[in-house]
Amino acid sequence: MSNDTLTHSITFTETPATLTVVVDPTPQITRGRAVVVERRRPKAAGWSLLQGLGVVVDHWRKSFRKLEDPTQIAGTFTTEYPEERLPLPEAYRNMPILLFDDATGHELCTSCFQCQRICPPQVIHMTQAKDPETGKPVPAVSEFIIEYDACMSCGFCAEVCPFDAIKMDHNYELSTADHSSLTVHKAGLLRPVSYYQSIAPTFWAEAEASAYKKLEANKKRRPASIGIAPQMIEQVKAAHKLGDGQPEAASPPAPVATAPAPDAGSAATPASNAALATSEGDLPTDKAARLAAIRARNEAKKAAEQSASPAASAAPTASDGDLPTDKAARLAAIRARNEAKKAAAQAATDPAQPAAEGAATALATPDAPLTDAPPAPATPDAPLDEKAARLAAIRARNAAKKAAQAEEE
Amino acid sequence: MYDVVDFLLNTQLGLNSPDWVVMLISHLIVVGMLFVVAPLQVLFLTYYERRAIARMQDRVGPNRVGYEGLLQPIADGVKMFTKEDIVPESADKRVHLLAPIVTAAPVMYMFAVLPWGPNMIAVDLPTGLLFFFAISSISTVGLLMAGWASNNKFALLGAMRAVAQVVSYEIPALLSLLFAVMFAGSMSLMAIVEAQGGLFISTTDVPSVPDLGLGWFVFTPVGFLAFVCFFIAALAEGERTPFDIPEADSEIVAGYMTEYSGMKFALFYLAQYILNFLLCAITATIFFGGWQGPGVAWLVNQSLSADNPAGNPVYNVLAGMLGTFYLLAKTYTFFFVMVALRGAFPRLRIDQLMNFGWKFLIPLTMINILSAALWLAITRWGTAQGFSIIEFAGEPGNLVRWVIAFAVTLVINVAAYWFLARLNVQDHVARQAALAAGWLAVSPPRSA
Repeated sequence: MSNDTLTHSITFTETPATLTVVVDPTPQITRGRAVVVERRRPKAAGWSLLQGLGVVVDHWRKSFRKLEDPTQIAGTFTTEYPEERLPLPEAYRNMPILLFDDATGHELCTSCFQCQRICPPQVIHMTQAKDPETGKPVPAVSEFIIEYDACMSCGFCAEVCPFDAIKMDHNYELSTADHSSLTVHKAGLLRPVSYYQSIAPTFWAEAEASAYKKLEANKKRRPASIGIAPQMIEQVKAAHKLGDGQPEAASPPAPVATAPAPDAGSAATPASNAALATSEGDLPTDKAARLAAIRARNEAKKAAEQSASPAASAAPTASDGDLPTDKAARLAAIRARNEAKKAAAQAATDPAQPAAEGAATALATPDAPLTDAPPAPATPDAPLDEKAARLAAIRARNAAKKAAQAEEE
Repeated sequence: MYDVVDFLLNTQLGLNSPDWVVMLISHLIVVGMLFVVAPLQVLFLTYYERRAIARMQDRVGPNRVGYEGLLQPIADGVKMFTKEDIVPESADKRVHLLAPIVTAAPVMYMFAVLPWGPNMIAVDLPTGLLFFFAISSISTVGLLMAGWASNNKFALLGAMRAVAQVVSYEIPALLSLLFAVMFAGSMSLMAIVEAQGGLFISTTDVPSVPDLGLGWFVFTPVGFLAFVCFFIAALAEGERTPFDIPEADSEIVAGYMTEYSGMKFALFYLAQYILNFLLCAITATIFFGGWQGPGVAWLVNQSLSADNPAGNPVYNVLAGMLGTFYLLAKTYTFFFVMVALRGAFPRLRIDQLMNFGWKFLIPLTMINILSAALWLAITRWGTAQGFSIIEFAGEPGNLVRWVIAFAVTLVINVAAYWFLARLNVQDHVARQAALAAGWLAVSPPRSA
């Protein structure tokens, strides 16, 4: 054996019948260097023992310096873990996380169930969000559970997700004394997009454009605060309040009066910027807006009438104190109509507003006074198109009905 | 210590205590100190070994508990003491309990004759060296008790191996130490240390050599060969790695310690590390001058003693401190060598161990005794002793005699080493060839 590299020349004989693939006739296969250790008789008995001891002592001596590159052979190369960490490769994957948009707080997940289906150990569970008014599913997730204790970090969920909503995290420090804490719910899974961007910048750069495009499309179909990361709700609400300067979100359509204020606090800017951004490209037509308003008013009226009659019939049997029910129902109907009208008027005058308003009023919580509630969901969605207008009308009616029922009770 | 206690009790306090009270108190203090020192040495050695071997393997070693992991042995100790003590159902419970005590107690006795510094010795027995090795042999009984009482085949195998190994390696260990008894003319370890003053040449051979405490026996060919043989034998006696056959963890779990846990296991561990410490210390004492070193002799001369009533007692303390420092420095150096050997060499087979001990070490140490006798004859004996090989008058004569003795013993020892090594290698090669040719059966065929 010599220290030379071995070269093999391989020639292919081609027969006419076979496919003629022209390969480089003499491929050079370079093998690794063969190191030949000459075993000579040791000079004295025990000499090789001393040599072996010398190697060990040499390593000991050199271990006080840090090994900089592997050619040094000896030297300490320990990374003292809790204090020092090796950089993780971008493609490192440990446990899945959910992403939400930094600016609007909207989750990217649309509850399409793809990850749940593909998950080999079946540790992903989710419930699709439903519109509280209509009971119809919306493209958002209301609860999302991943059992980290059984997750095998295969990353299939992240691979399959069409909305880039689920991604693999880099966090490997999951040891805990509390087993149940490894069943992670939505609030524990959600991370801002900026976090994922920080751990995997090139991967996010590839996904960013399509992810945001899909998110914008889905946001339109999410009423109120549905689809906003729970930890972001307060923040987004605060931003909204600062932006419109109103002390209370008692009348949700009010924010439309003021345009997204440039003088708003720093917390307000992301939300208002996002609102501005969303307004582009989906300007409502005047006609649709007006139609929606009319429908909303009509529906509200109808609802009020319907609710008024049972209330009236119930009145004689009840005590005298029940009288205001009729009045309250009527009041609710009137308010609904007025608000719808106002919204329509504003939509007509300033086409850019409704979308901004949509973003803003979406934050309105359902715990607002019931009598004020009906128009709230109606107005923002109204001007978008024919379908949305109808939807808004139905919603207004339902809300009015509910209000009336509440009054009855 | 007697003087100090006597001074405090009778002179300072005027108690007029009888002699035996002073003796008792002083001995209790010394024994108390040694009982504190021994476990502390073990704690430090475990840490030291782990750190050193980690460095040899390009690692860092334990560095989490305390500064640079210095409290790691204490954490280990706490763990060990809080562990459950499990005794096997079928074990001989009384012997199982006694075994670790029988193993650990003798090694504590060995401290009694170890000189720590000038005049710092618990008991300066005239037969100190003999006592040291005689008492260490009792540990072997404990090992066998442990193996037998555990009622476990691995434990018994380990115990049998331990006894076989320790018994066969005590012979070369003691044969190699005989030269020191001959050189110093005494079995007292203190006398052996005191014979090693000088500078390269011992003052006992050439009295005119300046006494820097460096006339160590290891600088003579006789001493060097004895040192190599003794250190190898000590490794086998302390069951250190190239010879850790009794507790070969890849073969027989943990040998005689297999069925031990908690405090009892800790006692075995303690005994083993104290024994290793003492073997290193005795190596330092006999071959490397013990507490001897530059400065100690000068400090001793300045200090207060019966011969020198004008001396300053501060020098007594300083001499003791320096002497202890030298002894510990040498001891830890040898322990480092033990750790390096552990890092470098794999475990021997039991037959290799026996071959090496009986066919190489014992003949070599016997020839070394011959060399030692020649050395004494050349350097010290004259017509007065009735055996005059060479005699020169005066001081340069001593030096010439020393040089001649050095040359003669060097030639004898190198030749002996070369011859025995060659003989063993040839024997080994012949056996391998015979095995390969099928002339030698590896194991006799079993008859039905």
